[in-house]
Amino acid sequence: MSKFVNFLENNLSAPMARLSEQRHLLAVRDGVISSLPFIIVGSFFLIFAFPPLPESWAITQWAAEHAADILIPYRMTMFIMSLYVAFGIGYNLAKSYKVDPLSGAQIAVAALLLTITPSVVEELGFVLPMQYLGGHGLFVTIIVSIISVEIFRVCKQKRITIKLPEQVPSSVSRSFEALIPVAIVIFLMTLITVVMGVNLHHLVDKIAAPLVTAGDSLFGVLVPVFLITFFWSFGIHGVSVVGSVARPLWEVYLVNNSEAAANGAATLPHIAPETFYQWFIWIGGSGATLGLVIAMLLFARSKYMKNLGKTVIVPSLFNINEPVIFGMPIVLNPLLIIPFIVTPLITATLSYFVVSFGWITPTYIMPPWTLPAPIGAYLSTGGDWRAVVLVLVNITISVLIYLPFFRLYDKKMIAMEQDDSTNTVQN
Amino acid sequence: MNVLFVCAGGMSSAIVVKALKEEGKKHGQDLHVHAIGSNEVAEEINNNWDVCMVAPQIRHRFKQINQQATEAGVPCEAIPPQAYTPMGGPLLYKTLNELVE
Repeated sequence: MSKFVNFLENNLSAPMARLSEQRHLLAVRDGVISSLPFIIVGSFFLIFAFPPLPESWAITQWAAEHAADILIPYRMTMFIMSLYVAFGIGYNLAKSYKVDPLSGAQIAVAALLLTITPSVVEELGFVLPMQYLGGHGLFVTIIVSIISVEIFRVCKQKRITIKLPEQVPSSVSRSFEALIPVAIVIFLMTLITVVMGVNLHHLVDKIAAPLVTAGDSLFGVLVPVFLITFFWSFGIHGVSVVGSVARPLWEVYLVNNSEAAANGAATLPHIAPETFYQWFIWIGGSGATLGLVIAMLLFARSKYMKNLGKTVIVPSLFNINEPVIFGMPIVLNPLLIIPFIVTPLITATLSYFVVSFGWITPTYIMPPWTLPAPIGAYLSTGGDWRAVVLVLVNITISVLIYLPFFRLYDKKMIAMEQDDSTNTVQN
Repeated sequence: MNVLFVCAGGMSSAIVVKALKEEGKKHGQDLHVHAIGSNEVAEEINNNWDVCMVAPQIRHRFKQINQQATEAGVPCEAIPPQAYTPMGGPLLYKTLNELVE
């Protein structure tokens, strides 16, 4: 067994984890993550605009009348998240090349803005269509941010820059150093968008469409769910590895759902944004380990398990489960890896069908991930009480699946503890 | 002694940090421990740390973090998985002391 585990570790999980450390993936990951505070705060204005309260209440009616105004902070943050992401990717990629990060961020933003054609509206003058700066623009953002920073750093490394005499202050000379790469990027983007008249967003939307559909299918949900617990089985942070690749797609779903909700749509387009995984599947952390901890608290007989249950329950309520994963341990422990992988696959399948049947509103708001799951699920669905029921059902399922495996493990621990105590007596 | 902890987001180490501090107190040592996420290492590493310890769940990033720490002249070590629990204080303290020596 341990040979097999070592084989998997060396030939599968370790190389895949290293792959996620690739420079551009890392920059995209950190860029997207840097925009999350704006998404979290911005999305809450959707709750203020559509409060989960009876329609007859005065405050609900007031909110409905003023929804457009209440949503302005949302429109300036989450609705145009790609603008924030471009800055984040440009900054992080430039930093990884050890070239000026601020210039990298600015060049990426310029490249993104140059994919859009402003139009002239009477009374207002020039207007930028905001839709391309939202979820729809994210793939284009990733592509142009990477290309423009690559141009910037190649110019810098091959010294294709304008050098000023040494007496010039460094802040001035730095802005001159960016002159040639900025010119190249702007000419290139102008050539594509203005001269050739290509709308990159339409083009990339078409190419990405199959991916967007696949990631939102049942299979598209189960694959990342499996991979995340698979990585954790070796003690590697699964979400951090899988999220490097999948998070952009998950954020597109979230932003699209929130756009539909803000427009008052009756049904939301996507089932599986990141919030779907967070609140319905990863209850208590990756592997839905809250169920295991509850089983531990209720049924543990060995001293170690009793103690561990008491110390890990509080972090588990807030979805922090490294103490469970390394404390049990689940890592490299076949007996517990089985329910650790199986439980989320089952609750994910159930949740997927429940949401796709329209029994629960799809998630479209992003509460901070450290909230207890019932609260997070309630807020994330814009205040759908049925989401709380699903969370409770999923917790029950996970307790039931973990319980028999836990009891076996607990018995082993009792046997070990008895061995230990008889040994100490003899010694 | 100033100890820098690195994990995925700086959240989970906070629990282990507490265990290490308590173990330090038992040995009469006042430890200053701070937990950060792996993307903050570059900014934080030069702020006067005596040692840098990397959580087991991001060991695929250890090489990169180790390099940053070494460049800054800070000894760096991976935390053994068995030590990364609320009850892992003693083992963690031992690992720390071996690293300092």
